[in-house]
Amino acid sequence: MSKPKVGFFDFASCEGCQIELTNFGDVAFLELINHIDIVEFREAMSEKAGKLDIAFIEGSFTRESDRKRLEEIRKRSAIVIAYGACAATGGINALKNHQHDYHECVYGKDAKAPHLASNIALPISAAIKVDYSVYGCPMSRDEFIRIVSHLLHDKQPIIPNHPVCMECKLNETICRFHDGDHCLGVVARAGCGAPCPKDGIPCEACRGFVSTPNVDSLVKTLINKGGMHSSRAWNKSRMFTNNQRGDVK
Amino acid sequence: MLDYNSYENNIFYPMEAKILNVKQVTELERHFSLKLANDKQMTFSPGQIMEVSLFGYGEIPIGFASSPTRKNSFDIVVRSVGRVSKAINKLQKGDSLYVRGPLGHGFDLKAFKNQNVMIVAGGIGLCPTRSMIQYILDKRSDFKKFTLLYGSKNPNQRMFVDDLEVWAKSSDVDFHETVDQGIPGWKGNVGLITTLFKNLEVESNTKVIICGPPVMFKFVIFELQKLKIKNEDIYLDLERRMKCGVGKCGHCQINDHYACIHGPVFSLDTIKHLEEAI
Amino acid sequence: MSSYFITRANFEKFIVKLIQAKKKIYAPVSKKQSFIFDELTSFDDLRLDYDVTILPPKKYIFPPRQGLLTFDKQGHNSLIAPEDKILLGVHFYDLKAIDMLDNLFAANNSDANYLANRAATTIIGANIQKISKRAFWGSVGKDVRPHGYDGFIIKLDGGEGYVYECYTDKGSALLKSGDFSNASPAQIAASMDINERVLKQCPEKLNHSSKEIATKVRSTFKEKQLWEELADDCFSCGSCNTVCPTCYCFDVQDNWNVDQVSGRRERTWDACMTEDFAKISLGGGHEENFRESKAQRFRHRIMRKSTYLNETLGGPACVGCGRCSSACTADIADPAKAINRIMEL
Repeated sequence: MSKPKVGFFDFASCEGCQIELTNFGDVAFLELINHIDIVEFREAMSEKAGKLDIAFIEGSFTRESDRKRLEEIRKRSAIVIAYGACAATGGINALKNHQHDYHECVYGKDAKAPHLASNIALPISAAIKVDYSVYGCPMSRDEFIRIVSHLLHDKQPIIPNHPVCMECKLNETICRFHDGDHCLGVVARAGCGAPCPKDGIPCEACRGFVSTPNVDSLVKTLINKGGMHSSRAWNKSRMFTNNQRGDVK
Repeated sequence: MLDYNSYENNIFYPMEAKILNVKQVTELERHFSLKLANDKQMTFSPGQIMEVSLFGYGEIPIGFASSPTRKNSFDIVVRSVGRVSKAINKLQKGDSLYVRGPLGHGFDLKAFKNQNVMIVAGGIGLCPTRSMIQYILDKRSDFKKFTLLYGSKNPNQRMFVDDLEVWAKSSDVDFHETVDQGIPGWKGNVGLITTLFKNLEVESNTKVIICGPPVMFKFVIFELQKLKIKNEDIYLDLERRMKCGVGKCGHCQINDHYACIHGPVFSLDTIKHLEEAI
Repeated sequence: MSSYFITRANFEKFIVKLIQAKKKIYAPVSKKQSFIFDELTSFDDLRLDYDVTILPPKKYIFPPRQGLLTFDKQGHNSLIAPEDKILLGVHFYDLKAIDMLDNLFAANNSDANYLANRAATTIIGANIQKISKRAFWGSVGKDVRPHGYDGFIIKLDGGEGYVYECYTDKGSALLKSGDFSNASPAQIAASMDINERVLKQCPEKLNHSSKEIATKVRSTFKEKQLWEELADDCFSCGSCNTVCPTCYCFDVQDNWNVDQVSGRRERTWDACMTEDFAKISLGGGHEENFRESKAQRFRHRIMRKSTYLNETLGGPACVGCGRCSSACTADIADPAKAINRIMEL
């Protein structure tokens, strides 16, 4: 098996998932590097390669001008993987999708500067065909390694499609709702191992929704058990799932 | 402590099997002839299944596609649909794969003895039933009239074309075949498998085996009822999402039945009340 | 069965001695306002006054993630390597559940990956001192008595000490670690009374016999509206399955190690309430899900707990621990509520 050529690309994002990769530093990632040939990686190198076996794309698609670059990556890559919440679902960037005044609020008199012009934030899949997604903000390293390992063997990766709740139960974590708190774990895609509730922090669904989230039941639960008023309960899941909600723009 | 590195003591410990021969059957299906690496005989009944695995990829349940009367090897047909099957279908002659079995209940051979038998197979449903077909042909005098109906989507999807040719000419089996859609050059019947029932001569005391895609069952059963064949004489070979193959993991459960241990062969009488079965 | 008595002071010495011995002890300990089974390292951590634990003790016999095999270029090896251990302080509803799992894993094709762990485990029950808010063990499968455990501890009222019931050689083997005397008839009578009394104190109860329930629930299979209504708020999260002491469905997956050559085949707890549980791939990107709706999945779970396995187990596959009821965020999983509602139809 010749080493697959791999490239990393970034769009609208904090580049945190790339940093997460270069920060791996542990045995797992160093070992993985023996099996892949990283030929493009802006955070770590400047060269540009031609054909790629796997393109990893980070960040959301939020400027029409990015479409061309994405299409160019798609054209020369056998497999495209959107990694991290921004690329997979639009992530936290999509918070702006239902706002109008954030430019003025954030940039004041410079709000109209041309480089600030952007559309709503969308997942990479809104511009090009994405083969697989690595969810999470940041993405999960273990899942990343597992997905790459599967692809090295031409095996379709398995991505969980059940809510985070199950992972909390496996951790014997006390439910946030039992602690008088709220949580989005009931509709959030598992696979992270539920570290946030374990630390007493509600799940914000950074891995996005499961494929069929029961949103009505979520709102009802946030009101009845989480003590939220109805508009907050309705808006609560926007942080990471704006593009997956029923009121998507 | 018991030696758990043996299938006898550990049902999850697979045995190595060598690939004696591979044939590409259709675009998606490959036909493997296997032999256990320890040279032991695989003893099974027609209709039983095996868990077939490739390490790293996982396991899938597959029915035996050859008769236990043919002792040199045992056959399976693998359709490239998922992670495991795609990986298995890249293997070549001389490679190894790993098996656990035989598992589940096959056809009740005692009940079929000295009876009229009809097998209705659709698509890849011919693979698990081929075991029974070969068995009947090898022990022909043990059975009365033997009728075989086979339907495939189109002529390119026909399985075991060499066998089909032999069966068509044989006086041991009343063989009828159809395809849902013809292609230029196809001279045989065109139409759904139920159209084969039109001029069929079948006694009402015939034991019938059905195996095929889920939609086929209902329509074939309807035709059989017109022929006054009793539910207890109708056997279904049900393919389900079996995982462990040994009645534990729960994936193949149809109400209170596990396809992998109570089946995969069920009499219609046993499962007709099971709403999730067909 | 023989009954022994140990004073309160000697009981502490007994537990300390067990902790110091080589075998690991797993027992109820506190976790914030809840309880879990965990390795016991000090007598002070032992909370025999627990109401219920988040996960049932089955996790030590049928672990949530259990390696079945390792594989590499040379071949494959079983990962069965049971650890000798004591499971201490198991309530009777969990003893019942373990007994059911023992039967299910031994039946048809006996599963050495479970049975080897089970054989290496000494199980010591304990009476229920505190009752959880959602318990209904007093009224479910009343004729089903647990078997297969090795000993049982009953704390006598007034705190004078404990009665220890010995059922097997494994149970008797512990006697040498403590200062036990033969229990007096009065102590035995008192301990039996304690176990009898607690049965009547559950906050929830089933109003019908297991047989009546099995028949009636089964007959509602086609009541689409009923099941849709019961499952309306379901998140399909699988929490009810995950905390259930009698659920034993699992998934099997292979993964490679980082060297990309060797790897592991392991089984993990699975949950029939999740959307993908009954999904099969048909090829060409097509899939079939034979329990596609949450109502079908909810029905499957209730049926499985109240009718499907009854013949095999001699009673319902629910022990009334109430774990699912409290684990369910939408608060719809409670079998007692669902079944009582169905019985009133």
